Amino acid sequence: MPGALEGFRIIDLTQGLCGPFASMRLGDAGAEIIKIEPLTGEASRTMGPPFIEDASAVFLSLNRNKKSVVVDLAKAEGQELIRRLASQADVILEDLGPGEAEKLRLGYGDVIQSNPALVYCAISAYGEEGPLRDLPGAELVVQALADYTHSLGKIGAAPVRLGADVASLNTGIMASQAVTAGLLHRVRTGEGQRIAVSMLGTLLHMRGIMWTSMTDPDEWYGFHLDHYTRPPDEGYKTKDGHVYFGLRRGSSEDWDRLMLSLGLEEYIADPRFEGFGREATSIGRHAPEVKPIWEQAFQKLSNEEVLKLIHEFRGDAVAFNTYPSLFAHPQIDELDIVKEVEQPAGGSFRTIGPVWHFADTPAEIHSPPPALGQHTDEVLTAIGLSAADLQQLRVAGVIN
Amino acid sequence: MPGVLDGIRVFDLSIAAVGPWAAKLLGELGADVIKVESPAGELSHAIPPPIKGTAVLYISANFNKRNIVLDLKNERDRTIALKLVEKSDVFIQNMRPGTVERLGLGYDVVSQLNARMVYVSASAYGRTGPMAKEAGIDPTVQAFSGWCSITGSPGSQGEMFRHLAHLDITTSSMIVEAVLQALLARERSGKGQHITIDMISTALSLQTSRLAEYFATGEQPQPMGSAVTTTVPHQAFLCQDQEYLAVGVVRADQWPRFCRAIQREDVYDDARFQDNPKRVEHRAVLTALLEDHFQTKPTTWWSQRLTQERVPNTRVSRTVDFHALRNDPQVTHNQHIVDLATPHWGTPSVDGLPWKFSKTPAGPIRPGGLKGEQTQEVLREFGIAGD
Repeated sequence: MPGALEGFRIIDLTQGLCGPFASMRLGDAGAEIIKIEPLTGEASRTMGPPFIEDASAVFLSLNRNKKSVVVDLAKAEGQELIRRLASQADVILEDLGPGEAEKLRLGYGDVIQSNPALVYCAISAYGEEGPLRDLPGAELVVQALADYTHSLGKIGAAPVRLGADVASLNTGIMASQAVTAGLLHRVRTGEGQRIAVSMLGTLLHMRGIMWTSMTDPDEWYGFHLDHYTRPPDEGYKTKDGHVYFGLRRGSSEDWDRLMLSLGLEEYIADPRFEGFGREATSIGRHAPEVKPIWEQAFQKLSNEEVLKLIHEFRGDAVAFNTYPSLFAHPQIDELDIVKEVEQPAGGSFRTIGPVWHFADTPAEIHSPPPALGQHTDEVLTAIGLSAADLQQLRVAGVIN
Repeated sequence: MPGVLDGIRVFDLSIAAVGPWAAKLLGELGADVIKVESPAGELSHAIPPPIKGTAVLYISANFNKRNIVLDLKNERDRTIALKLVEKSDVFIQNMRPGTVERLGLGYDVVSQLNARMVYVSASAYGRTGPMAKEAGIDPTVQAFSGWCSITGSPGSQGEMFRHLAHLDITTSSMIVEAVLQALLARERSGKGQHITIDMISTALSLQTSRLAEYFATGEQPQPMGSAVTTTVPHQAFLCQDQEYLAVGVVRADQWPRFCRAIQREDVYDDARFQDNPKRVEHRAVLTALLEDHFQTKPTTWWSQRLTQERVPNTRVSRTVDFHALRNDPQVTHNQHIVDLATPHWGTPSVDGLPWKFSKTPAGPIRPGGLKGEQTQEVLREFGIAGD
């Protein structure tokens, strides 16, 4: 069965993590992704070690279901090639930075001359207006500007970032939405348009609950407010690991029996533990303060024993997993999210597959990440270039 | 100008953050979103803090919706729900697996009534397997999905992100992607379909680039403070004034400009540092050298020079200053955070729209109602006599 975006062609001028994550998601959904790379290859090809053969693991994880076409955008002939590709495409995705595409005559106004119905999505680091518009972006810089470092680490200590590349990847998701929304409008009306998303805008959007919380709360209380001043939360230490738990499903009887089982009967009447520990566990008001009490009880038990005990008393509890412990868990197999991708030159690598399960238009991995320029000839021939044209461009250093 | 989802109706039966935030985004794209709650109200009402008595989570996750109350355990209200479902395009629910079926609004029932329905079921841990029945919230998904194991101070065992909604809203965003794709597919097929999604998969998808390292090496990526495994330099440096400056050299052309900005042509000439893979290999040497160097001048000096050379950088403030952030020109010029006039909660600052469409503008952002505030209005519109 074809994917939802089958038949749409996307010219992807982006590099790094953000744009490539967006186009990979659109490719998973069936769109044809033509990835334009500079002669030296896109930035993420050298984001490593680790490398698998000559491509970084990061590159491989973000570029399946794409065709690689090498074009030097610094040359006028290269820019002309992109305009020609755009004339036969449905979408342009770019992250050149505000005003930069226009300098190459690849801006929205330039490419719609020959293809007015194009959907054009521009990704910027900080937004297309404002004093930072011309500064290139980087993951940590955007996380810091968006206040993310204040929900991590200790007050006054060295900053801590989220290990995941959220400024890039969450914005990639917003760009993927924008492109599909643009296509939906075009299919219904025939009209294309320009859409902009930004990394800073995305991260600030995702923290909206906090901006509203801080405006005029009735009381300065709740995890949307007190997370700034809480210590790092590393879960509850057990004999062999860490767990995270809450008892939101418990009843009075369950609660008393749990406390007895853990030898914590002296705390049953403690006001901090009332309401079945609602404020003493998980994200509750007293949780940081009473954590040593729980840990004293848990230190005699393994992770598995703690989880079993809490589940027995109808609480929610999970291990604070590392990657090895996560992938050893049977639940992961149920989700069918880890995929093995075969490489044409032999060998294979593991990666995270599409997240959605569509009943009728499945998102799938069709092809492995491309070698640099693997599809240059194929794609350019398909838009009408002759062998002589290709030869001439190659000699001029415009393509590989 | 109408939004891209003008004419699309969303039946939003979801609770807490994941489903509601997805439906809110669809509302901001122009859909008519009807949020359906039980008489008791959904669980976000109990999450602090409130503003003038309404939970901020409820306010924040429910913009651009009309709020109605239906008691789905009561036959009359269930019939009303089915009438609404018949005339809706999208159905979103994130109750524990099995619950919506018990309420008589499972996919089988809904698709019989309305074959064009795009129906989303979101769960925490998936719909089958040993954890399917467990309730998941953002922090349990953080802990379980390995998300915490890659974040923290160097040498720590990993820590939670104390903004306990990031993985919720990531899932919401991926729901919106899927709904838009299914609406596009419906233009061709004329048919809706069932989409399922779970928070563990979305959390893993958001860790794709870190997991790539793990899958390639079999080694757990360690918490590295502000630094990252695969790119050097990309971290915060302590400057002479004891403030931190975040710097990232993420493109090849930024390295010579970085070296010029910090006036260290000798570092640029050093073969050990000539490209990113070499800098990662010699991380310890280079980082020690740069850490010493940044200590010799205050943050402002470095920041000015790096900005002139167009190298990504920003001061990392030591404390939270919400008003400074709210009024930062970058934030205000781009409307990343905006003020929203509401009838019930004053004029709070809220998240701006994440996209700017030139032809089908998203928004304007409108406050949602109180629980059930638009019940009569919506029922009248559907020709159903109110109480």
